[in-house]
Amino acid sequence: MSTSTTPPVISARALSVGYKNKPVLRGLDFDFEAGHFISLLGPNGAGKTTLLRTLSRHLSPLAGEIRVQGRPLASLRAIDLARIMAVVLTDKIAPPLFTVFEFVALGRYPHTDYLGRMGEIDRSSVVKSLAAVHAADLAHRPFADLSDGERQKVLVARALAQEPQILLLDEPTIHLDLKHRVEVMAILRDLCRSKGITVVASLHDVDVAAKVSDRVALIKDGGLLDWGPPEMVLTPEAVAGLYDFDKAEFNRHLGGIELRGDGDQGRAFVVAGMGSGTLVYRMLAKKGFAIATGVVHTNDLDCYVAQSLGADCTSVPPMEKLNGSALVRATDRMTECDFVIDCGFAVGPMNQANMELLQSALTQGKTVFTLREGGLQSLTESDHNRSIRCDDAIGLLDALDSYSARNALHPKALEA
Amino acid sequence: MTVSELALTPAPSMTWRRPQVVFGLLTVLTLLMMVLNVGIGSIPFSPLEIWQVLTGPAENTTISSIIWNLRIPRAIAAVLGGAYLAASGLLLQIYFRNPIVGPYILGISSGATLMVSFVMLTSITVGWTLFTPFISTLAAFAGAYGVMLIVLAIASRVKGGVTLLIVGLMMGYLCGGVTAILTALAEKEKIKGFVLWQLGSFSGFKWDEIGILLVLGGAVLILLFVQSKPLNAFLLGEEYAASMGVNIRRFRLLILLCACALAGMITSMAGPVAFIGMAVPHMARLSFGTSDNRILIPGACLMGGLVASVCDLIARTALSPVELPLSAITAFFGAPIVITLLLKRRVKL
Repeated sequence: MSTSTTPPVISARALSVGYKNKPVLRGLDFDFEAGHFISLLGPNGAGKTTLLRTLSRHLSPLAGEIRVQGRPLASLRAIDLARIMAVVLTDKIAPPLFTVFEFVALGRYPHTDYLGRMGEIDRSSVVKSLAAVHAADLAHRPFADLSDGERQKVLVARALAQEPQILLLDEPTIHLDLKHRVEVMAILRDLCRSKGITVVASLHDVDVAAKVSDRVALIKDGGLLDWGPPEMVLTPEAVAGLYDFDKAEFNRHLGGIELRGDGDQGRAFVVAGMGSGTLVYRMLAKKGFAIATGVVHTNDLDCYVAQSLGADCTSVPPMEKLNGSALVRATDRMTECDFVIDCGFAVGPMNQANMELLQSALTQGKTVFTLREGGLQSLTESDHNRSIRCDDAIGLLDALDSYSARNALHPKALEA
Repeated sequence: MTVSELALTPAPSMTWRRPQVVFGLLTVLTLLMMVLNVGIGSIPFSPLEIWQVLTGPAENTTISSIIWNLRIPRAIAAVLGGAYLAASGLLLQIYFRNPIVGPYILGISSGATLMVSFVMLTSITVGWTLFTPFISTLAAFAGAYGVMLIVLAIASRVKGGVTLLIVGLMMGYLCGGVTAILTALAEKEKIKGFVLWQLGSFSGFKWDEIGILLVLGGAVLILLFVQSKPLNAFLLGEEYAASMGVNIRRFRLLILLCACALAGMITSMAGPVAFIGMAVPHMARLSFGTSDNRILIPGACLMGGLVASVCDLIARTALSPVELPLSAITAFFGAPIVITLLLKRRVKL
């Protein structure tokens, strides 16, 4: 797979890691290439931290060998290793009475003299490190007063002050709010891209890892399940297996996790298309409805989301006019559903058949909730006016709630 | 970038000014306290008389002997004792990353006391040149280090700051128990000296003891100052320190040996002295406004010397001619400081 000619920054052969003859991970073989962003993914307790601690030499390998820039890790002097590799750990450290500047300056350790005196180069390195994590304005603040997000950025700055070529981070985004989570990941990615630093991080968010990583390592059951570019490795099956997902699916096209509902609240048929159904599907899954949908083109966003949510999706190939057979299939499924939702998609020559679907829903006497502007007046409604017009998602939500309440009170009423 | 660099330039000069002022102040105050300690005592001498004794030729008068053999050694001993205990406490606080530890709290002083009680109360060491300062210093060091190792062994199994304190307290009780049994079994004449020693006092230091303290302790302090860079790295915890290039195993051993040596040395000669080792590092940190050990090692030593001198002066003069136990005075000093720190949440357990 390797396209680069430079030797790997970190390589492991037949590596076993763990504590006191109690191996956590066995038989690891991998090469980390320079300038790559490498994510370690896996459930809690899988051994991500143990692996990182072994790579940073805080734990000795139980077996096998690690090489850093071609040299055996065990043979490097502590100070030489510190010039190559820096770490950011999860420990909550709060040394008292340090300004952020002084704290980051501690990272100059492997470069300063025996008393740790700071020269011009050291000072400018600290300033640059702070600037690289967008924290220059924090320099004079007391370290102990920082928020979690600010502290994490400053911890990364301290590591950068070591001027490392490799940065190891244990759960760098844990405890952070969304803003700082995104910011820290963006900072780390920039370090990779612009400074060529190899970043190795254990992460919890598969979706984030998929978006920033050059390589991901899936760690579970005492070993490396898979290893490679996220585009290859992070299949819905692999992610579901890694975390033992049951009611969720990782969608690589959407780059996120879709949570499925229990499907025990009744069955909804959603007539959607061109992305109009996405939010409706998620809302229905959240509320616990089983979903059937159609007819959508297979390249429609609605199709991806519906499939990830486990919906029964009637689809036709892209750019094809909805044809009779798909319509028949969809109508059959709609008949089995308790109610129908019209997402208010724009109607064009390719999907005009979906309007026929709605028409037959009304003819069958199904309750139709519609988000369409102006409702379904163009269609002939049956004797009982079953189309309920909703202005927006909230309106639909309210309508559904009152529908379920009615349905629960008089389960036979609708069928009669 | 340029803006932030401009903003950062005043920082170093500003952070350097405060320590210099505090150093100057502490030095002046410590010297002043030494002068007072030499000048004030149960037998009053006028400043002129003292000046004549200090500057004049050696005479064999009572006043000369009181000044040269009692008061001056005691004043020096107080300064050294305070300094070494403070340095020891500073080291332990860094090592355990726990702000409330000190040689006394961790049971190190109790361990030293126990071993010294073996020397003073039993006849185990009779065959050896009887009761030289060396033997009891070595015994104190061995006791301190022994307890330290036990506390470490337990602390490595059970994490948490409170656990550490409780382990230290329990070690203190255990050592105290053994010491009490030894006292019960000992001959009457030996007990009196031991009990007095156990209350803690800087009195009765001989010049050769001061010499030992100065040479050994001075060497340890110089060693520590040279190690202040790894000590600073250690403030972030072992793993960070190791990742920055500190040879952790060697360094851990060094810190503990130094802390035990300093505390053991003072305990063997002055008895167990409470609170200085724990409270003074905080006083130093707060007054210097930094955790930088390049400043704190000399800073805590000066502060410790000053505090011990003040406590010793109070112990000698408050109810003169009765001399109060030193540990009582240091407790009045230290306990409120620790409680205040906890209440102000400057300190987290």
